[in-house]
Amino acid sequence: MFHYIMRRVLIMIPTLIVISAVIFTIIKLPPGDYLSSYIDTLRQSHEAVDEQKIAFLRAQFHLDEPAWRQYLYWISGLIRGDLGYSALYDLPVSQVVGDKLLLTFIVSFATIVFTWVVAFPIGVYSATHQYSFSDYGLTFLGFLGLATPNFLLALVLLYFANVKFGISIGGLMDPQYLDKPWTLAKAVSVLKHLWIPVLVIGAAGTAGMIRRLRANLLDELQKQYFVTARAKGLSPFRALIKYPLRMSLNPFIADIGALLPHVISGAAVVSVVLSLPTTGPMLLEALRSQDMYLAGSFLMFMAALTVVGVFLSDLALAWLDPRIRLEGGVTR
Amino acid sequence: MRKLLPLLAVVCLVALPAAHAQAVEPKETPALEEAVKAGTLPPVTERLPSDALVIRPVELGTPGGSLHMLMASAKDTRMMVVYGYTRLVVYTPDYKLEPDIAQSVDVEDGRVFTFHLRPGHKWSDGQPFTAEDFRYWFEDMASNKKLYTAGLPEQMLVDGKPPSFEVIDPQTVRYSWAKPNPLFLPTLAGPDPLYIYAPAHYMRQFNAKYADEKALDDLVKQYRVRNWTALHTKLFRPYHTDNPDLPVLDPWVLKTRPPADRFVFERNPYFHRIDPAGHQLPYIDTVELVIADSKIIPAKTGAGESDLQARYLRFDNYTFLKDAEDHNDYTVRLWRTAPGAQLALYPNLNAENPIWRQLNRDVRFRRALSLAIDRHEINEAMYYGLAIEGQNTVLPKSPLYDPAYRAAWAAYDPKQASRLLDEIGLTKRDSSGIRLLPDGRPLEIVIENAGESTEQADALELIRDTWAEVGIHLFSKPSQLDIWRRRVYSGATMMSIDRGIDNGLVAVETPPDEFVPTTQGQVQWPMWGQYIETKSKSGEPIDTPDAQELRRLYKAWLDATDVGERAEIWRKILEINARDVFSIGLVAGVPQPIVVSNKLHNVPEEGIFNWIPGAFFGYYHMDTFWLTPEASSQASTAPSKG
Repeated sequence: MFHYIMRRVLIMIPTLIVISAVIFTIIKLPPGDYLSSYIDTLRQSHEAVDEQKIAFLRAQFHLDEPAWRQYLYWISGLIRGDLGYSALYDLPVSQVVGDKLLLTFIVSFATIVFTWVVAFPIGVYSATHQYSFSDYGLTFLGFLGLATPNFLLALVLLYFANVKFGISIGGLMDPQYLDKPWTLAKAVSVLKHLWIPVLVIGAAGTAGMIRRLRANLLDELQKQYFVTARAKGLSPFRALIKYPLRMSLNPFIADIGALLPHVISGAAVVSVVLSLPTTGPMLLEALRSQDMYLAGSFLMFMAALTVVGVFLSDLALAWLDPRIRLEGGVTR
Repeated sequence: MRKLLPLLAVVCLVALPAAHAQAVEPKETPALEEAVKAGTLPPVTERLPSDALVIRPVELGTPGGSLHMLMASAKDTRMMVVYGYTRLVVYTPDYKLEPDIAQSVDVEDGRVFTFHLRPGHKWSDGQPFTAEDFRYWFEDMASNKKLYTAGLPEQMLVDGKPPSFEVIDPQTVRYSWAKPNPLFLPTLAGPDPLYIYAPAHYMRQFNAKYADEKALDDLVKQYRVRNWTALHTKLFRPYHTDNPDLPVLDPWVLKTRPPADRFVFERNPYFHRIDPAGHQLPYIDTVELVIADSKIIPAKTGAGESDLQARYLRFDNYTFLKDAEDHNDYTVRLWRTAPGAQLALYPNLNAENPIWRQLNRDVRFRRALSLAIDRHEINEAMYYGLAIEGQNTVLPKSPLYDPAYRAAWAAYDPKQASRLLDEIGLTKRDSSGIRLLPDGRPLEIVIENAGESTEQADALELIRDTWAEVGIHLFSKPSQLDIWRRRVYSGATMMSIDRGIDNGLVAVETPPDEFVPTTQGQVQWPMWGQYIETKSKSGEPIDTPDAQELRRLYKAWLDATDVGERAEIWRKILEINARDVFSIGLVAGVPQPIVVSNKLHNVPEEGIFNWIPGAFFGYYHMDTFWLTPEASSQASTAPSKG
């Protein structure tokens, strides 16, 4: 077991290096750099292009130097824990991201809780009542959630929330609470706004999870051990909770790896439509304006979380299900 | 014999009301009474300069209240500098220059500029604003190669030479050049002005020349920048408005440290303007900018979340906004915009492809394209007939306006267009009636654009039909701003669609640079512009006689000292542009919806919403806008209800 953990940890290093090279290359692929897009934006809004500032930024971000050196500057900063400096916000990256992380975390966490709370009972119910009228009804609802484009649902909900409940459009709180310290009133305002993004982002995830849970559980319900347990007179509910449900949990644990980066990424499209102060729109804007340090460092951060998350979920799986053997993978 | 610009006469005239300043007894601002009583703020008489600028608002207002506006990004805090419009000299709504921060400006021969400051004028932190602040900028910033790597700004160089700078006394500074510098004052009065002064008392702590080395090193580390020059540049950006510690002279001062989603500006207690009743301006105590995505700003505005909104609203939002007027206690007004054209086609005279370059450079071709457009149809279909049809040139309100410029080759005349195309030799047609190029390919014009508005695509759809009648096939190719510009610059495009010239309200003193090759941003001749911009390092030299003539006239305008001479040159430039149809204008003067809360007063019913001239709300004195007192106190306690 110890060897396995050591090997996994060591393998993370080359993985992250490859990811960093890919991220850097892709961000650099479009022609031009942050400054050329900055100049174009200025021209479009008819503002004077300040040669002075351009020359200054060019030197500060090493834009005149070859790409491989720019990469080394960036990566050596990352190793020292320095995420770099965002040209777009003119602030250290850690400061730009730091501010948005809390709200992103709140939205994502609420979404995950919502997804689980809704998907679990429905999934179990439709598996145990397979092909019943209510199974079809719930399945239909699930597919509806899966098929409706998120942004459309977001727009429709925004409109009704504003017209029917008088909730200010977009954002995560009423404007007067922005920048204020956390109070009860602010928290209430956040809760009032939170349900729309949670519902919208959660809709597709919920539907997917219902389907998976239902399928897994159906597999288990037909196995002999369950039939035996029922034949021995165990109550249906107890039998269900004690055995097949536990078996069908594996995919959820495996999901944790993907969940970790998701918690901080904040669904970008929905966040843009809803104008949420999360990291999603920030990443999009950074990529559009080719802000290398902000986009690159944030993506690296997410990549690192994914790698760690996958590792953790593998460990958790091994602990949960003794049938899974970690060492076996080597000989494959 | 000294020749004086008319500006001096203007300056003398408007210096008159300032002389009455003493007659106005300043009153303490209610919101600041407490601080004055507590002794943390000096009384209003000590905060105002001894010669405060008296502004006559449309109607006298009541100080107080909080104004809400929506913006799309943290960078938009600079709009408060634009709207606040406080400059050394400013333009009035009739486009005349007047002193503002400066008490007066004397101009000799258009080359020696003497600025007189207001005695007792103070920065927003209460420190005196004097000639030292000008000296600090000129000697310790602009002349320091480490800070200003590119040297003095271009507008301060005449034939590449900087001015000589003198401090005459603590209230007077002088800049003198050997030759006239007509760009100097307009640049100082621009919506994004050139700052030739800096708060020396604040900036010195970040300048290696003055600061203690150890303390400066600590600051550099604290701000996580590379060296002191980076720190100095980062902290002195009065236009970008991102440093709440920077002392300013604007009506409102930033109080929120970025990054944030809501920016609060509070009144500058040392602002130098006053109304005739003795209230220190601005009337409004605080301005709050809430950041939201630009696409949902029209929706939020319709829900009554902004007290004054025009930015990010477009003409096609008008009906939606008007519909919600009754529920949300606001009024939608329609102001005019002032670009020379809302939409214009730009044949690329520097196109890479030799056949297209030759065609685009043929004036008959450009005229034929223009004649084959039904502008009236575009106006009716897209703007309810409210726009002005015609070429991309000066607008009727400009003193240089001549209806002939706008009408030149702008009538819908497919017959004449066909004749012109035949004359060029494009007589062969394919089976579907499309003309053939000399090399046998069909005459298919691809019009590229930045893909940022559906407006351009809609207009092109209408043009496609009328062009097809004369045998031209139009394709529209939306792209993305960066990519589109790069393609234009490299000559990869045949033709583009974009906004027309920015300033359709030019005066004789306005530099004619938009009608002459000057920068690569001009998409009809990007290579020529680049050649001039880079001082012949890259791009292509101008090689058509008319464009060379434009260039020659532009130089003559810069050197001219006489108003009559400048006007004469301006006319010639406009005539050449009208004759040659370098850009094909469609419509201009498209209305801009302005949403104004019914609580907000002194916002004109009609106006021009424009960048230059206009500074958006700047020319209309946003510092004199005021809020109905009861309503504003309600708004600050109750959460906003849709």
